[in-house]
Amino acid sequence: MSDERDKLIAEVVEKALRGDMDEINNIEDRVTRSKAKAALAKAKRAQTADSPHQIEASDTGESTAPNTLSGNPNQKVGERISEKFPDSRDGEVADTHIQLKPDQWNEIATWLKTEEDLLFDSLQCITGMDLGENVLEARYNLHSMKHRNAIEIRIAVSREIAQIPSIEQVWRIGDWFERETYDMYGIRFTGHRDLRRILLPEDWEGWPLRKDYEVQETYHGIMVPKVKEGWE
Amino acid sequence: MSEWRKLPDMGLLENKFNDNVIVAKLDKLISWSRSTSPWFFQFGLACCAIEMMAAAASRYDLMRLGMIPRSSPRQADVMIVAGTVTMKMALRVKKLYEQMANPKYVVAMGSCATSGGPYWQHGYHVLKGVDIVVPVDVYVPGCPPRPEALIEGILKLQEQILEERPLTRKTG
Repeated sequence: MSDERDKLIAEVVEKALRGDMDEINNIEDRVTRSKAKAALAKAKRAQTADSPHQIEASDTGESTAPNTLSGNPNQKVGERISEKFPDSRDGEVADTHIQLKPDQWNEIATWLKTEEDLLFDSLQCITGMDLGENVLEARYNLHSMKHRNAIEIRIAVSREIAQIPSIEQVWRIGDWFERETYDMYGIRFTGHRDLRRILLPEDWEGWPLRKDYEVQETYHGIMVPKVKEGWE
Repeated sequence: MSEWRKLPDMGLLENKFNDNVIVAKLDKLISWSRSTSPWFFQFGLACCAIEMMAAAASRYDLMRLGMIPRSSPRQADVMIVAGTVTMKMALRVKKLYEQMANPKYVVAMGSCATSGGPYWQHGYHVLKGVDIVVPVDVYVPGCPPRPEALIEGILKLQEQILEERPLTRKTG
């Protein structure tokens, strides 16, 4: 029974590959028909893999574009950035992140996104940090869908000049990420086209996730801190 | 039907007519009819909203108490504040309360709406109880309260409405 079925499937798949789909569609038995269609899909996949115009089968790993960043991606990308943009690095080389100065950040970001063997096409997160001692920091997590590398960029600024060039037009997702970081830490992203608070009301005072944040007393006449005396 | 849901007592006229005729004082009739159809303004702000939805859905069926969810403040009698009221929302809660037609009632559902809940001490952006901006009639504790708890709160509110005498002039 199953031998017969296998033979039948092989036959119709061969015909279908030559462009005759009627044979498959005319199979009465539903199970056999679906098996034949599955076999056809498999055969088509095998064909495309043999052809010269293959899509990158990144699942198999080795056959894809050579991964130029074998080893620690943060260190390798850091070196590449130093070559391309001298004097843009800030502080020590580290395994976990790349510390940059804010000045050339926009150009570096565009380069990171478009350079053929880096292709960091996905900005996954922007976080803010208050490191104390007058230092605020923005952290960018980048990921390359093609090369499967992930790096972290850190840019530290002082509170007085809390300004970082915006990468909102490089990665569009950066729009809201930057607004949120601005909302919570007061880091201004210069060149952002719509830098408003995103969660708090627009007339809120202060930057809540800074370490020295003091909540305002009233908001539109409503007391903000707890007011119910004698409850505790 | 529990005792309070019957029409208020009618003195000498009680049981003098057959079942199809209702005799009542207008004052009590008004409060009775108000208490048995408090349409509520759905105000889901956080996880309490899920329990409010569960209470309104078929298993708990708030509709049997005459409660129909409305999406407009102008059609509603009761505002159920279900969830965390942030400072940004507080102004809107107040505005929506002001848009409701009289008589209007507020149920503060859950810890956040009654007192700020888990944001009591360090939540810089949370209103510490919705009673700061609007007058609250019934507080329902819980985090979030189960639908039974909300229904208990509604029953308490209905009792409260039933005791009102809208036509009687208040003295003293």
